[in-house]
This record gives sequence, C-alpha cells and structure tokens, in this order.
Amino acid sequence: MSIAVVTWQRLNLLGRILAIVVPILLALGLVTIGVAYVAGPYAVGFLADNVPLLRFVAAIGAVLLLTIPTAFIVIYLELKVIARMNLRVGPDRVGPFGTAMSVVHGLKFLSKEDFAPTGVDLRVFTLAPVVVFGGSVMTFLVIPFAPGLFGLDMNVGMLYLFAMSGLTVVGLLMAGWSSFNKYSLLGGLRSAAQMVSYEIPLTLALVGVVLLAGTMSLNQLVLAQSGSIADWYVWRQPLALIIFVIAGIAEANRSPFDLTEADQEIVAGFATEYSGMRFGFFFFAEYVNVFVVSALIVTFFFGGWTAPFDWPFPVVISGIDPLAWGVGSLIALLLVPVVGTLVLAAPFWLSSRISTLQALVIGFILFNVVAVGLLLGWAFVSLDWVTGLFWFFAKSYVFVFFFVWLRGTLPRVRIDQLMGFAWKWLLPAALVNIFVTAAVIVIVNS
Amino acid sequence: MTELWYVVGFAVVGVAFVFLVLGLSWLITHRNRGDEHKGRPYESGIDTYGDTWGRFGISYYIYALLFVAFDIEVIFIYLWALVFRDLLLAGFISMLIFVAILLVGLGYAWRKGVLTWK
Repeated sequence: MSIAVVTWQRLNLLGRILAIVVPILLALGLVTIGVAYVAGPYAVGFLADNVPLLRFVAAIGAVLLLTIPTAFIVIYLELKVIARMNLRVGPDRVGPFGTAMSVVHGLKFLSKEDFAPTGVDLRVFTLAPVVVFGGSVMTFLVIPFAPGLFGLDMNVGMLYLFAMSGLTVVGLLMAGWSSFNKYSLLGGLRSAAQMVSYEIPLTLALVGVVLLAGTMSLNQLVLAQSGSIADWYVWRQPLALIIFVIAGIAEANRSPFDLTEADQEIVAGFATEYSGMRFGFFFFAEYVNVFVVSALIVTFFFGGWTAPFDWPFPVVISGIDPLAWGVGSLIALLLVPVVGTLVLAAPFWLSSRISTLQALVIGFILFNVVAVGLLLGWAFVSLDWVTGLFWFFAKSYVFVFFFVWLRGTLPRVRIDQLMGFAWKWLLPAALVNIFVTAAVIVIVNS
Repeated sequence: MTELWYVVGFAVVGVAFVFLVLGLSWLITHRNRGDEHKGRPYESGIDTYGDTWGRFGISYYIYALLFVAFDIEVIFIYLWALVFRDLLLAGFISMLIFVAILLVGLGYAWRKGVLTWK
C-alpha cells in the first residue's frame, strides 16, 4: 500500500473531511485570484459602464436576502410572544431562548417530502406558491427603507403596490382550485372573496394620504412627512389609519380574519393538500406579508424612515485618515483587540472559579459586543441611512408585534360578519374620510 | 423604460428563486409513491364524494362583480386625488357626483340583500 492510502486510513472522520475540503478551498482560492488578476480590469470597466445593472443586482439581492431573516424573525416572534401571552414558555431549546427555532422550521420544510396527490392539476399546483411568493417579494421593490435605499422610486408606486398585492388573490385561488379537494376549493374561494372585498377599503383609505401629499411615490410620501413627529400623517388621517390597519390584516389573511385557513372549519383551507417546500413558500409569503403590511403602515402614516425626534448629540467625526497616522499607530491599532480582550477578561479571571481559557473566551465575546456596539453607535450618529434603517425597522416591528398581539387576543370572526363589515362599514367610512379630507383642503386653499 | 425592466427583472429573479429552492428541496427529500390511499384528497378521513370542481355559492361571484366596479372607481379616485390641488371646489363637486352614482349601485345591492352572506 502506498503512503497516501495508509495516511488516509489513519485519519478520523474530521481529519478526512478536512483533508478533502482544505485542498479544494485552496484550489478555489487560487483560481479566484487568477481569474481576478486576468479579468479584473475588464470586470471593473464593465461595471463602471453599467451602474444601473449593478444597482439592480444589488437591489434584488438585498431584497431576497432580506425576506429570509424577516420571515424567520416574524415566525419566532409569533411563537414566542403568543406563548408568553398564553402563559407558556414557547420555544426555548434550539439556540439561545429558542431563537434558532424558525431556522430549524425552515430546514424542516426544505427536507420534507413534497407530495402532490393524484387528481391535482400539477402545473397550477406548482405555480400557485410561486405566484404568492413572487407577489410578496415584488412589493419590496418600491418600499423606501432609508434615504437612498430603495429598489425603485416609482411615480405610480402605490398603484404598483396594489397590483402586486392583488397577485396573492390569484395565487390562493390557483392553489384552492388545483388541489382537487373540497376544503381547498372553499378556502381558495373564501380568500378570493375576502381579499377582493378588503382591497377596496385598503386602497380607498390611502386616497386621503395622496390628497395631502399630492404624490403616489412612496419616497416622496416619506419626504413629505419628514421634519418632526407632528408632520406624520397619522395625526391628519387617523380614520384612514384605522381602516388601513383592519383591511391590511384581512389582506395578509391574519387572525382575526384568517378564515381562509380556518383549521377548525376547513382543515387548512387552500393549503390542505400542500406539503414540503411548496407549503413552505405559502408559509414564508404569509410572514413576509405581515412585515410588508407593517412597513406600509409605517411608510404611509408614521413617517417611514424619518426619526421621531432629532438626535440631540450631533457627533460628526471627520478627517479620519488612517494612512496619515504612520506605521507605529497602525500597529498600535492592531493591538486594540488583544488589549481589549485581556482587559475585559481580567475581572472574570481574577474572580477565580473560571479557567483561564474560559475567561479569555468571555473577554473576546465581550470585546466583540463592545466593538460592534461602538461601531453601530458611530454609524447611527454619522450615517443618515443607518439612522433611517434603524427607525424604519424599529417602527415596522412595533406593528409586527401588534399583529402578533391581535392573533394572541382576538377570536376569529364569522364569514358573514367579515364580508358585511368590509362593505357596510369600512367602505362608507373610507369614502367619508376622502371627502372630509378633500373639503378641508378646499377650505384651507381658498 | 428602466422602471419596466426593474419590475420584469424582479419578477424573473423572484420566480427563479422559488424554483431554485423547490429544486434544491427536490434534490434532498425522499419520495415515495405509496399506495392509492396516499394520493387521495384529504377530507378528514372520508373518501371524497361527488365532483370537486363543481358548483359553489353564488355569493362569491357577486362580491367579485362588486369588486370590479369599485376597483375601477378607485383608479379614477387616485388620479383625481393626484391633481386635486389644481381643481379644488370644481373637482370636489364632480367627484361627489361620481361617487354618488356608484353609491346608488351599492345602495341597490344593499337593498337586494347581496351584502348579507347567505
């Protein structure tokens, strides 16, 4: 036997994996360096000539990457918050405080059998989750996350939003119809009737906002509300806010309007026959939609990314030029992590009980927490898009929490109450809101 | 033009993402055809009876019809709201008349009892 074979047999499993992975990574790294060396200048030139393309790729990449943690966080919030409201503990096994629970949830969906019963219309059956998820991803295109951070500043942004949220109805109807199951069909029809009815008050409620701002671009709407907390449209359109929140919950098929998947009545509604990742995408889209509705409430009524108050400590750190510091200071800068770790580890090390290694690990983690905190704090005060992102997500998650709270509190409504409420209460209220707003504008301007 | 390509691009990439993940899931899941009972529609343990793609309540159609009428109205109201500052009183009165006509329709549907779920 050759030396290679003998060495291979002596390695344990970890050693074998490393023996395979490390050379591959080395080879890949070398290839990457080579390609970058040869094609680098051409690539930079190409990208410099095609900045819009680059921007598009960045936007779609950011949006797709954003949907995944968003859904995970909303699912975790739902599990944990409702559990606490029911005086239960909720997920607490996977990860710290059960935070990795929804990741495991996602992996479970990914690895479960994706079964289609006999008799389903397979093409429509497969396309339905695609349409539903595609619709909720595409709404992200026009949402302004921070100053300068948006997919596209469309002048018909609001109409685009309603068109995309309308796609969800088509997807749910496709799912219900193609499943070859009476419960699915009922669920699909219910969802179509419900979402179609609540689409009207949802859109009419925002006419008041358009009347005030004179624009349909979401970016311009946020700019129109910037200034102070008094400029937010919630103070001038309270009725519109109430209508929009109610209709938004119904559009996202959330409790107390979750008749489409009322499990005590029609099993799971349109999703009865779905399993595996095809069901996973319905699930995914539902939670992304919760975030989208919250983000829209914030954008239209709570000033989007604008801060509720001016940050009272303006710290502008400028003129930092590390290259001018000289070699000595740069080496001193490299020592900061080491010294920081040692300083933070010292109290734990002195207090006995803990071994030196454990103290060092704790010190290292603490140093990272402090460093990242300082860095984020610096970014918050000096970069306006970080501030914008912070306020946008903070406000949005307040409404996500509100939706979860509703689900933990309210019982499901009956379908006749649901439909009657949309047409007999919300629609007239939305019309009254429009005309009152318009009348005030006429009086003020004449 | 850029806007259109953004929308088309978002749609294409979003759909491609879903199909990619479905493909990945197809690669790592186990599949088993099972016997004929596995493929039956799940209706709480009872075999399905009659035609699934058959008849259902008329209320669903009527709500869809009402929706079409009011959704078109919404499009008009949005355009009106966009230019309202130039129209003021004249625009206010004309929109009042427009909505009044539609409200007659809604009132008719209300009196006919269409809005009450049966």
